[in-house]
Amino acid sequence: MSDTAVPRHIIPRVTPESVEYFAGAVRGELRIQRCTTCSKHQHYARLLCSHCGAETLEWVTASGRGTVHSFTVIRQNGVPPFDEWVPFVVALVELEEEGARILATMPSVTPEDARIGMQVIAEFRPATDEVAFVDFRAAP
Amino acid sequence: MSRRVCVVGVGLSDSPRTPEMTPRMLEAQAFRRALDDCGLEKGDIDGLASAGYGGMHEVQLAEYLGLRPHWLDSTSCGGSSFEFQTHHAYRAIEAGDVDTVAIVYGNTQLSTSGRSLGTGQQFQLTGPWAYEFPTGITLVGCYALAAQRHLHDYGTTPEQLASIAVQIREHAGRNPDAMYREPITVDDVLSSKLVADPLHKLDCCVISDGGCALILTTEERARSLPHEPVYVRGAAGGSTHHSVQAMPDLTSTAAAFTGPKAFAEAGITPADVDTFQMYDSFTYTVLVCLEDLGFCAKGEGGPFAESGALRLGGALPTNTDGGGLSNTHPGMRGLFLLCEATRQLRGDAGDRQVEGAETAVAHGSGGWLSTMGTVVLGTVPVR
Repeated sequence: MSDTAVPRHIIPRVTPESVEYFAGAVRGELRIQRCTTCSKHQHYARLLCSHCGAETLEWVTASGRGTVHSFTVIRQNGVPPFDEWVPFVVALVELEEEGARILATMPSVTPEDARIGMQVIAEFRPATDEVAFVDFRAAP
Repeated sequence: MSRRVCVVGVGLSDSPRTPEMTPRMLEAQAFRRALDDCGLEKGDIDGLASAGYGGMHEVQLAEYLGLRPHWLDSTSCGGSSFEFQTHHAYRAIEAGDVDTVAIVYGNTQLSTSGRSLGTGQQFQLTGPWAYEFPTGITLVGCYALAAQRHLHDYGTTPEQLASIAVQIREHAGRNPDAMYREPITVDDVLSSKLVADPLHKLDCCVISDGGCALILTTEERARSLPHEPVYVRGAAGGSTHHSVQAMPDLTSTAAAFTGPKAFAEAGITPADVDTFQMYDSFTYTVLVCLEDLGFCAKGEGGPFAESGALRLGGALPTNTDGGGLSNTHPGMRGLFLLCEATRQLRGDAGDRQVEGAETAVAHGSGGWLSTMGTVVLGTVPVR
């Protein structure tokens, strides 16, 4: 992945619902929602808890630690800049915080090294003043 | 008393390459052929269902065809939309809201977009896509994530997935209209390009042009038409998630509840199914739904497929027209499953006929294993 400017077409439009997540990522924090009724967490941001339906959501800073629940190696993607990234690893990471899974790129993990069950930790890749992307790397 | 509902007409447009046609032309061509198939006229159609990629799709189609339908359905939940629409039309005809419904779909995926579907799409970055698209995940990649977990949990092998593509290709060889008809081997699949691990190019459906139409009506009307009626015996649909990030369990789908519900209504068990028309967007889609629908136990989809069960003469002849993997896939394939199931039950399937087929299941999958629709068809009614 190059360090050149991030193409506009892959930058999400930040909404009132997602601003906390993306602003947190800019600060280097993985922000997710926790329900004070059922104590479960969710990603991505919603108005209601997707587990119990309550409105009682608060934002918390996740540890950033998780386990690779599954992964794939993307070897074909015609959309820039991904066409220049291939092959690259995308993982579905189960966060240490209960109930939350997050789909993320693992730029520093080679296709040969990716494993289900590997311990990973979040890292942050700045895109704009308002948006950073959350990636994962192998946990130390 | 509720009315019995039958599929009476099926039509396929030209395919798999139709650069001179628009999607709407393919829809109209398939519609005309379905009318000719059942001997009804345009004026007999009082309900219309369709799905496409724009708003008011079925309304535009009604105008194009010169219909003034009293009943509309535009349920659009990906490739399984047409199992849902069949379910809805079945209920509406049964209840007396409408008598005769056409379900129509056509698209020029190949001629319009080339072969990049699934690996080169730009999505609007709203909702879950705002979080997912920037990872570089693709449609194929989402299915690959699910397949990879199945390999991990159950020891399913790439060879077992490949055997699904091999068996369905054998059926395409018996269908003169199929896009790819040359036999392939497991080695051919495994040596084709990896698109998103563990899915190879030949684990993925083809990209084609094509259209299809289905006409349903009451048993009473069906009795005066040329073909033996094919009864809708049961149907169910549902979803578990939209994006793969929110998929509750990568190794099971909504088919685990749509199947039992539709089979119970139809009064059948999986063992009663003579032919299975399954939305084979990817080999994994087939494998996971074989398990979820109860054709084998959870985790046993790999050995079951590898045993040869899916081929003609096997325990569960599957995708007898060559499926999406080898025949045609214009973007949303669900309607074609119902067409092939109907032909099998009529005994009209030529070289690929399942002898004596009395019960068929068409099962559609949409989105990212997100939506599942099951329809049971049979040569005799439930009651």
